[in-house]
Amino acid sequence: MTATAARLQSSRPSGWWGMALFVTGEATLFGTLFGTYLYLRLQSRHWPPNGIPSPKWALPLVLTAILVSTSLPVHDALASARRGRLGRARAALLVAACVQVAYLVVTLTLYDHDLHRLEPSASAYASIYFTLLGAHAAHVAAGILLEVWLFLRLLRGLTRYRLVGLQATAFYWHFVNALAVLVVAVQLSPLL
Amino acid sequence: MTAVDVAPSEVRRERLGRIWEHRPGLLGWLTTTDHKRIGLMYLFATLVFFAAGGVEALLMRTQLARPDGDVVSPNTYNQLLTMHGVTMIFLFIIPLTTGAFGNYLVPLMIGARDMAFPRMNALSFWLFLASGVFLYSSVFMGSAPNAGWFNYVPLALKQYDPGPNVDFFALGLILNGTSSTAAAINFLVTIFKLRAPGMSLNRMPLFCFAILAVSFALLFALPPLTVDCAFLELQRKVGFHFFDIAHGGDPLLWQYLFWIFGHPEVYIIVLPAFGIATSIIPTFARRRMVAFPLVAMAELLVVFIGFGVFAHHMFATGLASVTLVFFAAASMLVVIPSTIQIYAWLLTVTTGRPDFKAPLLFIGGFIVFFVMGGLSGIMFAAIPFDQALTDTYFVVAHFHFIIFGAAVFPLLGGLYYWFPKVTGRMYHERFAQVSFWVTFAGTSLTFFPMHIVGLLGMTRRVYTYEPQLGWNAYNLIETIGGFVLAAGLLMIAGNLVVSRFRGEPAGPDPFFGGTLEWTIPSPPPAYNFAVIPHVTSPYPNWDRADRDADEDRLERGELVLEHGHETPATTEQDAWLEEILEMPSESPWPLLLALCVALAFVMLLWSHPVVAAVFLGCGVLTLAGWHSDEPVEA
Repeated sequence: MTATAARLQSSRPSGWWGMALFVTGEATLFGTLFGTYLYLRLQSRHWPPNGIPSPKWALPLVLTAILVSTSLPVHDALASARRGRLGRARAALLVAACVQVAYLVVTLTLYDHDLHRLEPSASAYASIYFTLLGAHAAHVAAGILLEVWLFLRLLRGLTRYRLVGLQATAFYWHFVNALAVLVVAVQLSPLL
Repeated sequence: MTAVDVAPSEVRRERLGRIWEHRPGLLGWLTTTDHKRIGLMYLFATLVFFAAGGVEALLMRTQLARPDGDVVSPNTYNQLLTMHGVTMIFLFIIPLTTGAFGNYLVPLMIGARDMAFPRMNALSFWLFLASGVFLYSSVFMGSAPNAGWFNYVPLALKQYDPGPNVDFFALGLILNGTSSTAAAINFLVTIFKLRAPGMSLNRMPLFCFAILAVSFALLFALPPLTVDCAFLELQRKVGFHFFDIAHGGDPLLWQYLFWIFGHPEVYIIVLPAFGIATSIIPTFARRRMVAFPLVAMAELLVVFIGFGVFAHHMFATGLASVTLVFFAAASMLVVIPSTIQIYAWLLTVTTGRPDFKAPLLFIGGFIVFFVMGGLSGIMFAAIPFDQALTDTYFVVAHFHFIIFGAAVFPLLGGLYYWFPKVTGRMYHERFAQVSFWVTFAGTSLTFFPMHIVGLLGMTRRVYTYEPQLGWNAYNLIETIGGFVLAAGLLMIAGNLVVSRFRGEPAGPDPFFGGTLEWTIPSPPPAYNFAVIPHVTSPYPNWDRADRDADEDRLERGELVLEHGHETPATTEQDAWLEEILEMPSESPWPLLLALCVALAFVMLLWSHPVVAAVFLGCGVLTLAGWHSDEPVEA
């Protein structure tokens, strides 16, 4: 195990490349969403349109900071697994997943709350606002599923296959967290 | 010690054959992860869709043969027109070039035993097939997509197109896009990680460069289309607003996102054809490609520039002049890499000793049509010309010369060229040459007069026209040409089908091709290469000493990988041997996952989001099952 683990650090396995390219595609998808947001904004005289309050900034920023901080345990899980410290890798993965689940629950509650105060069908602003947040929440949920699956596999020990899976999942999470910063920046941009 | 007469190489081949043996029967095909079988399934599926798209075209041409035609109703004509475009682009050319040719040939050309992700490869095929069945189920329900293949809003909005027609289009293309994205990722990783030792990037066959360029293009071009179709469905089904002015949306948003996808799409369609041309020409000109590195760079450059020209589809929408000028200039820039390739092809043929067998004839036809379609393409980069002729048959003529003449002709040549490799039998050469001339004449007759009626003012997408406009003779010629073209295609199909059963045995290398697929028996064994080849040039089959060294290594058992389902991984640039990968074999999960996803899309179409979510949940469970099947630790 340690021999393959050492080699993994120098060269990227196919699984990592696959995830990196998938993330490239997803980044393009979000780039399109951001582009649409800016395009619609430039087409409108008032943004948000009249009658719609500007988004609140405190809670989204705190939530994003919390989500971004989970990159640390995710990275730690990978680093520990590479050194063969399986127990620590499992624990770090669990910590990350718990924080991310909490984030997702609070975010979805806020989303539901927003839906009551602002209909997505009210305007293009509301439509792109909910689409953007929904797309990001879906990516968070997918990442949590990946982690839960990895955690269950790691309960049965570490193999090269699982290490590559962990490497790919860690990459995915750093991407989702970077995306969270961009999403919140776009979402709060009317305040600027 | 017993007397053993069997050479060690034969023992090794036999052992590999047992390791890589297919599961017999239908189940073997349904669960296969062999890139060659998946490629063949792509081939047969796309040819069925090609036939459907061809019948749609002939129906339209029959309707337009005479003025005031009444073969089909206007509503049916709109559906034929839309399905013809959608079929030919999303269900025929892309899956045929990448799915069939790419899948079958890329691993053979780079000396690998499979794709990087064999199960994801199967998933791509099943998702593609699901998207095709999904789109065509609309035809049987009498509500096929009817807003044109580029489906402009506001026409495609609920108010103006209330049936499920456009929903089939939007959801079908999202499903199709997931398939192509997975295929693109698979090709990129395969090309970067699984090349045979020694095949550094500068020694990779140009066909693989073309597939590399196409895969990058798909990866970046499909997300805008997916987002666009998702916006459309959110607006049609849930009442979101993206495309209507009244609620702060903008109909032009659809066009921007569609053409950000749609123009790279043109290069996605035509680049594999370039790759096939650069495979066929050196073989029949009996020399290496002229300017090999320049052609490789040009293939990549075409795709890169292709992302910066999309607004030339929107010159008539009232964009700012500065935008128009930028995109006109960028569009002219595409000429440079295209011309590099044309000169390289022509010089290779003229400085070689060309043998005009059927595959090379098709490449000749391709170059003729590509130059003609390219010249009318440059005309459209001139903004006033475009604004005068937009939405006329001149445009139809231009893009059919490109998409049929330039993209499909090399595919037809490629079908002949690799037919002996795939089946182990030769096609009938004389009949193949006749079929080329019939197809060439049919294509010219069908599409050339469209330039003239376009200049005379005939607009595209009309279901009929009045007799006194002076278009009658041209339209009749086009229709006759369409049937000649269909006859040519049927001749090709007939030649291949009969040769499949009656053809002469071809042997491993009937044309003395240069790339690795010609070093192995025809049809290729399930394990592709008995010994992993070591490559020192872009035309390894012409390096006799290297191939003899491979045979020696097979005798010695060096890099034969005869202990499991294995293929080597190499470094991304220099292809230094890195590790031996254990590859998955047959798996039912890709088919099951594709089924779950397809059912989820059907439920979305019927507006049952909760049931759709349940099916997606089943999809997640199949993924868990898929990944619990881990490779054995070495």
